[in-house]
Amino acid sequence: MTAATLEAARVWLVVALTLLGLFFSFVSMVGVLRLPDVYSRAHTASQADTLGAGFGLAAVALTVGLAGAGFKSVLLLFFIFVTNPTAAHAIARAAFEEGIVPWIEGDDRR
Amino acid sequence: MADTDPPAGGADPDATATADSGAGATVGSGAGAAAESGDASETDAESDSAAGAVIVPVEPTSTLRSTIAHVAASAAEDGASAIHLVEIASWRDGDPESDDRAAAAERVLERVSAWTTADLDDSEAPGAADVEVVTAVLGADDYLFGADDYVRVLAEYAEANGADRVVLDPEYTPVGNTTLLQPLEFALSNTPLSVETAPVDRPTRRERFRTEATTGRFVALFGLSLAFYLLLGDPTYWFDVVTGVATAAVVSTVLSRVSLDSNPAIPRTPMRIVRGVIYLPVLLFEILKANLVVARVILDPRLPIEPTMNRMRVIVGSGLPLMTLANSITLTPGTLTVRARDSDLYVHSLLPWAREGLFDGSLERWTRFVYYGRRSARLPTPRERDDVAILQGDDATEELPIAAADGGAVDADGETESTADPSDADGVTDR
Repeated sequence: MTAATLEAARVWLVVALTLLGLFFSFVSMVGVLRLPDVYSRAHTASQADTLGAGFGLAAVALTVGLAGAGFKSVLLLFFIFVTNPTAAHAIARAAFEEGIVPWIEGDDRR
Repeated sequence: MADTDPPAGGADPDATATADSGAGATVGSGAGAAAESGDASETDAESDSAAGAVIVPVEPTSTLRSTIAHVAASAAEDGASAIHLVEIASWRDGDPESDDRAAAAERVLERVSAWTTADLDDSEAPGAADVEVVTAVLGADDYLFGADDYVRVLAEYAEANGADRVVLDPEYTPVGNTTLLQPLEFALSNTPLSVETAPVDRPTRRERFRTEATTGRFVALFGLSLAFYLLLGDPTYWFDVVTGVATAAVVSTVLSRVSLDSNPAIPRTPMRIVRGVIYLPVLLFEILKANLVVARVILDPRLPIEPTMNRMRVIVGSGLPLMTLANSITLTPGTLTVRARDSDLYVHSLLPWAREGLFDGSLERWTRFVYYGRRSARLPTPRERDDVAILQGDDATEELPIAAADGGAVDADGETESTADPSDADGVTDR
């Protein structure tokens, strides 16, 4: 395998990862608009975002190479994986303690 | 008779039962006689403390010796029937290392009971010879979360053994990681037991959320912060190394009592890290798989969502293992951990598919694998253990612990004025 094909593969991988990141961020956005209540929105806001930002950062790491900034973006990835669910949990917990009843099928509140 | 009671010493893991049957009978019969002699020599301010037995929860602390001295002296004066020295287990039988920790607890209890016996022998008070010394290990058959569980275990033991008074060592914390819990003393005030903190001098006044400072924690945190600093900087550049060492020293000095709640141990800690690295790709795959399912439901308007709140009792230790499990559940799309009330996790699920996956408990098994090893990961699923409940919808088996939980009665905007929040009462305990 020559250096050129390797380089091409890397570029395409970066493109693919970026598109995946965009896709999951888009899903996250649609979910926040579409879903009925704070709990289900917290689901999609954090989770699809984890993958959205995750693929985005993976693309960054691949672009800049594994030294220096690339390594930092891998660390950022870990950071997101720890903080994202924690933030979602904090929001849901606050809602629960406020006594907000989760939406179920047949509930006419939007 | 001021002797130790070996059968109740918790030599077997089921020491609670042993103490109940063995020592309990002795204490029960002795209580009446002690009450009479106690009335005669009533000097203590606590008028109701004369008759029954005293429970002292024991942990190796710096003030334990003086607490024991105080307990022995006051028990002899009041004519208490027995002093129960109990260790509340911070392990669960069957977990790795539980044997070591039980043995360590045993040694502490042995030493403490020797102290107590010696103090009673030295005591001039007339009641001293009648005080019995009993030791027991409590609660080793389950994970205990939070002050409420400890109080429950203590209260059960007190009832079985005719004890009515608890004396707390001022430095006593049941396990290392109860950092944000309400004090045991406060939780005990809701029981019929009378509670007293031994009036002994404390070497240092610590803030409540700090844990013990040990060299192991300091070194671990120092190494971790230095490694992180040098990852961001340049490990070959002398300036970065010097500032890194300085920063790590400051960080570990200030935070080693706060950020680590147990001592790093070889080989436990490295093994956990290795198993955690094994777990990561598994978790990533789960996230990806679930994400695709949820993305499809979100993007396709024809596919309905069926969110419900669920409850699942999980068998992992409190602190880091519980956090790992709760965060893994939240990271997996379709399930969101809303609350952790002791070992009950309240999980909101977006789809029945996600809920079933949750009840299959694969994340729980993986968390147990990471923290306790492969053998501990083999356990029945939460569904098989009957530790799950759906709290909403047609399949609901339990009521939602929210005041306005019966569904339709909610205003259109979701605001309920009269929401008496059921979670207020224990809001402090379950962090």
